[in-house]
Amino acid sequence: MPRQFVQLDVFAARPGDGNPLAVVLDAAGLDDAAMQAIARWTRLPETTFVLPPTTPEASYRLRIFSPRREVPFAGHPSIGSAHAVLDAGLATPRGGQLVQECAVGLLPIEVRGDGRDRRLAVRAPRARVLEIGQPDDPRLFAALEGFTAGALPPVLMDGGRRWWLAELSDEASVRRLVPRWDAVSALARDHEAMGLCVFARCTGRDYDLVVRALVGQPGQVEDAASGAANATLAAWLHERGALPHADGRYVVSQGREVGHDARLELRVDAAGDVWSGGQVQTVVRGELDWD
Amino acid sequence: MRRREFLQLDVFADRPGAGNPLAVVLDARDLDTEAMQAFANWTNLSETTFVLPPVEAGASYRVRIFTPRQELPFAGHPSVGTAHAVLEAGLARPVDGQLVQECAAGLLPMTVAGEGAARRIAVRAPRGRQRPLRVPYEDALSAALAGPARGALAPALIDNGPAWWVVELADAAAVRGMVPDLAAISALTGLTGAVGLAVFGHAPAGSDHQLAVRAFCPADGIPEDPVTGSANAAIAAWLHECGALAALGSRYIVSQGREMGRDGRIEVSVDKDGEAWIGGCTQTVIRGTLDW
Repeated sequence: MPRQFVQLDVFAARPGDGNPLAVVLDAAGLDDAAMQAIARWTRLPETTFVLPPTTPEASYRLRIFSPRREVPFAGHPSIGSAHAVLDAGLATPRGGQLVQECAVGLLPIEVRGDGRDRRLAVRAPRARVLEIGQPDDPRLFAALEGFTAGALPPVLMDGGRRWWLAELSDEASVRRLVPRWDAVSALARDHEAMGLCVFARCTGRDYDLVVRALVGQPGQVEDAASGAANATLAAWLHERGALPHADGRYVVSQGREVGHDARLELRVDAAGDVWSGGQVQTVVRGELDWD
Repeated sequence: MRRREFLQLDVFADRPGAGNPLAVVLDARDLDTEAMQAFANWTNLSETTFVLPPVEAGASYRVRIFTPRQELPFAGHPSVGTAHAVLEAGLARPVDGQLVQECAAGLLPMTVAGEGAARRIAVRAPRGRQRPLRVPYEDALSAALAGPARGALAPALIDNGPAWWVVELADAAAVRGMVPDLAAISALTGLTGAVGLAVFGHAPAGSDHQLAVRAFCPADGIPEDPVTGSANAAIAAWLHECGALAALGSRYIVSQGREMGRDGRIEVSVDKDGEAWIGGCTQTVIRGTLDW
């Protein structure tokens, strides 16, 4: 039976700049094994399955799969799926918001604008500090030897998934860093973390921060655009009173070092909640025939 | 920006999800090399192909084949899948059961039988030859094959574009049960300039396939490949060279990929000139348009 299918580029102002996502828009009747098999077959970081909501407050229900397993929540799949649902006319925003039902509960998604210029943002789960490191923490030495630290100390945070966050002195340092995968994997293993996220403040750009997210074993890959890692970083900047602007909004550049050029829009609201979002491009539109 | 026809297929598969995926852009005119490479990187599939009008006389269509990192002159599963896509879209018709594919490696004949999901397409693989070895490799080979029980044929390094170590194991069960020592396989392929190690074993009589195959390319970042055209062509070339095809017939079915949750099926034949042909069915999974 053919099902509506789209493949999107999330956190992208043009196709190819962001993080790809596959969305099956009418997933009713697909069982868990079929969803997992499709997510393995697409070979994308995530594939999502849209279902009718089970509660009246929700706009739609979403299940998110990586090639290996079901994921309770992730940023870029939520943003992309909301875009796909709106384009397909499966839900309409109420008061500028959609409510996504997923494995972690009901999540609000903010909608601004329309079509290509539409901006979506999802409220990230609250992140907390697990451990603040020393300014030149020896545990990060192997990964960052030869680089000058920025103003903030390194920190281990938990925002659903754990990340080490380390500020470097400037944008050029972040961009020229060649990942030392053994050291990144050791950090991930020793602290049950995804890996290491490095960042720096930028001046004279159309973005405020440059970010790179290095995922340790088994993947040893660099993310093109990470919604969750950036939300965790925003929570850390907020906690230290170090957000780039007084209104709590800032823009991140990520992914150039892996052939992409993503833009993520972060916002910390008055309640201290972090919203991460951006634009989405629809690249492939069609039907999926699996069963 | 132009909207183009797009398909994502499952090649060497009797059902969706069993084979090796392939993305096909059916009308790639006015996409430049850089755009093709960027899209092939974005799909993240092992290969993405771009169909163009043929340039050479006698060609049914022209194709360019890209991995996420580079353009390839030829590869088996992208050729079989692209021919299927071209036929589904009605961009070419077989003449006497044949298509001619124009690609960077030249004009390649392909055979076509049947229609739709049951259509079988085969491509003639580049001729495989045994490559002489000038380095002492015996210890590395023994280390890479320390676990499983071996078959009767001697191992060989077969070059058909990439070079594959081709090793017979005692039977299909030995192939399926093999726990690869990836570090040892990496060391062997690195030492001998091979892309990977392919093992094969005969299936019990009455199976729906005659050989079980697995292919390992850890030095290339692919611990195990689910369905591998070139490795199967290399195995066929070695069986032919050793006069070992009699037990199989000139046409046989390979099962590959079950150990990775796939169930690929490759039809292999060796023609009277000793050329190996690799083919199978293709499932059209995604059908739509592309905005790039």
